Amino acid sequence: MNKISTRQLCFFLAAIAPVGKIVLMPTNLIYFSKNNLLFPAAMNFLLQAAVIFLVLLIAKNDKSFYQLIADKLGNVTAKIILTFFALFFFFASLMPLLEQKIFVQSSFYDTLPSILSFSSFFVFSAYLCSKPLSSFGRAWDILAPLSIAAFFGIIFFSVGSADFGALAPALQSGAGQIFRGFAYNMGWFLDSAILLSFLGKIDYKKGLPWKGLLSYLAGAAAVLLFLAIFYGIFQGIAINQEFAFTKTSKYFSGIDTLGRIDFLFIYSLALVMAFYAIMPMQAGIDFLRQAYGSREKRFLPAILSIAVNAVLLVLTLLFDFRYISLNNLINGTLFWIFPIFCLLLPALALLFMIRRRRETK
Amino acid sequence: MKQNKFTRFLKTVPLKLWLLLAAIVAFSFISNDFGLVDIQKTAIVLAAGIDRNAEKGYTLTAQIAVPKGVDRTTGGTSSVEFVAEGETIADCVSDIYCKTGWVPKFVFCNLIVIGDETAKTENIFDALDFFLRNEYMSDNCFIATCQGTAKELLNSESAIDDTSSMAITKLFSNANVKSGKAMKMSLREFAMGYHSVTESGYMPYIVQHKQETNENSSGNNTTQGGGEQATEYKIYCAERTALFSKGKQVALLGPDETFAFSLIKSNVFTGSLLTEEDGKPVSLTVLNDKGDVSLNTKGAPKVTVKVELTVRLFNRAIPSEIEDVAKNEISDKLKENAKETVLKTVEKVFETSRKSGCDLFKLNQSLYRSSAKKYEEWKDTLLSVVPVTYEINVKTAK
Repeated sequence: MNKISTRQLCFFLAAIAPVGKIVLMPTNLIYFSKNNLLFPAAMNFLLQAAVIFLVLLIAKNDKSFYQLIADKLGNVTAKIILTFFALFFFFASLMPLLEQKIFVQSSFYDTLPSILSFSSFFVFSAYLCSKPLSSFGRAWDILAPLSIAAFFGIIFFSVGSADFGALAPALQSGAGQIFRGFAYNMGWFLDSAILLSFLGKIDYKKGLPWKGLLSYLAGAAAVLLFLAIFYGIFQGIAINQEFAFTKTSKYFSGIDTLGRIDFLFIYSLALVMAFYAIMPMQAGIDFLRQAYGSREKRFLPAILSIAVNAVLLVLTLLFDFRYISLNNLINGTLFWIFPIFCLLLPALALLFMIRRRRETK
Repeated sequence: MKQNKFTRFLKTVPLKLWLLLAAIVAFSFISNDFGLVDIQKTAIVLAAGIDRNAEKGYTLTAQIAVPKGVDRTTGGTSSVEFVAEGETIADCVSDIYCKTGWVPKFVFCNLIVIGDETAKTENIFDALDFFLRNEYMSDNCFIATCQGTAKELLNSESAIDDTSSMAITKLFSNANVKSGKAMKMSLREFAMGYHSVTESGYMPYIVQHKQETNENSSGNNTTQGGGEQATEYKIYCAERTALFSKGKQVALLGPDETFAFSLIKSNVFTGSLLTEEDGKPVSLTVLNDKGDVSLNTKGAPKVTVKVELTVRLFNRAIPSEIEDVAKNEISDKLKENAKETVLKTVEKVFETSRKSGCDLFKLNQSLYRSSAKKYEEWKDTLLSVVPVTYEINVKTAK
């Protein structure tokens, strides 16, 4: 079985994972934290980076998440935990999908297109989710350079229009607002939990945890730079600028002469985002495959993928014009679910395993 | 052999399927419905004019592009102006839809004009809100106010272009802005000012003039047969700048003050500065313009307005000796006069800003960014009491 190489993993952490955080998250951060949006974003990134480091440390065992739990707590417990994680992933995948949908419909169309224009995404998603994770590794090899080039293209086009002074005065909005910004945006930080599904599929090399950590922090720094530019450009009206990364580059002076060439970068990032939006679903299906799959059940991922995508397609249609209510529910009322599955459980489990390993030694 | 080929084919199926699906997704994402616009059903709005209407709330004048040849026989983009009324701007848009069957499309709307009275009477953000909410409209469009009503302005016949809005937006070209004769403002920047701690902004003020033409020439002033009234062609200028506070127009900068404001904003390059020497007018070319307004927040706030110009003699209103034309030397007296001219108008701009309550130089924003505590202390009085120092420096190009 092909494994994910260090390069591919670093590409994912540095160039694929950050892309999902520059669509609707910036306005959501500003809603709670105003000009202090960098603080809650940085807090989330740092916590994620710490858990990612732990996941990559444990990757040395070359055991899947299921095996790691089963070895310590037994098969039944492992199955229960992984089922809960899978359910969490399906729950968490709804917002990135809706985000993708409304982004495509608003940014790439002059008027509201038919629902069919986005539905084909689920065929693509169903196919990808049934593939092993190693297929994603190869996709990242292609997508990461595209993502990096497009991201820097957007930064280059945008930075001249930004007034970074708008980020001052720092901490004026108060600790409460910063904490709300941190808590109510956790839904965009699924990376550490997604990385759990990579366990046992990583071609572990010496220094991988550090390389992974630095890659994730590099991606985080790029997102923070983008957030600063975004707020610097729109300031008091930034809260109204959804689909942030499609908005910042159009004020570049060359656009008047050359036309919207920045759309080349936007299209590239949209393609990368399509792959990233699939990741939570893929992780959920992979956990179910780990828990219930066997050699005889080799069609299980495909069946699960079709079923999950069909359900999510129906939900996407149902919540077509209810993005704000759903956002309030998932990222607002139910925000506490995210730190449990993305920070607390992985960190506790992995710390427990690391400690047990040291005791055994 | 055949078996081998088939096995090889099967192995490549996933890759082919993947590529096919990726292509379908990319296609459905970016096809943009193939950019098809049925112009028989769509009104491509080039400009929107907003006036308040005592009876119905608002009057929206939409300048709509129409296929060439419908109402004119020559020249660029033709247009028709449709006037709609409604309780809200969205209601006016529905009125256009209802009365014409056209779906108004604002993607190409490059100008929003607000009538004089509309801008002065109430906060205009009740109307601008429609455009800020419109996801399918660019917030980079120009915004301006005008003498009279926006309806009159957009309905007027331009002497230099087929559509009045095209002629007006020419005033906001980079070349004209660099001349210091006009300021430009986009919807985004104006909204940013309003939604900041300054709650202030500015926008160009358009005035239309009748184009004077030779009665005997066959120029623009044509008579459309049968004793009909001659069409009156207009030219536009944006030499004045309207100042806004809390969304309402509170003052107007004249042409000289608009030029001074441009100098403070470092906008001017090769613009012409008119001064005098021995009682005769002299024009100087501004080759370099460095303007700045800084707020010193140590102790009680203090403002320094700096304008540093590098100028060259451009033209005198009297015949000059050829040596004077060749050397272009500027006497100390002329330099002093130029400095005095700039100082007077810059002072006037600042005082207008101060009296009107329009925080044109974002002093409150500077104070807020440097110290929120101090801002709370000074926010109500800063503009009216802050002491100002003017540092005007005029240098000559060697």
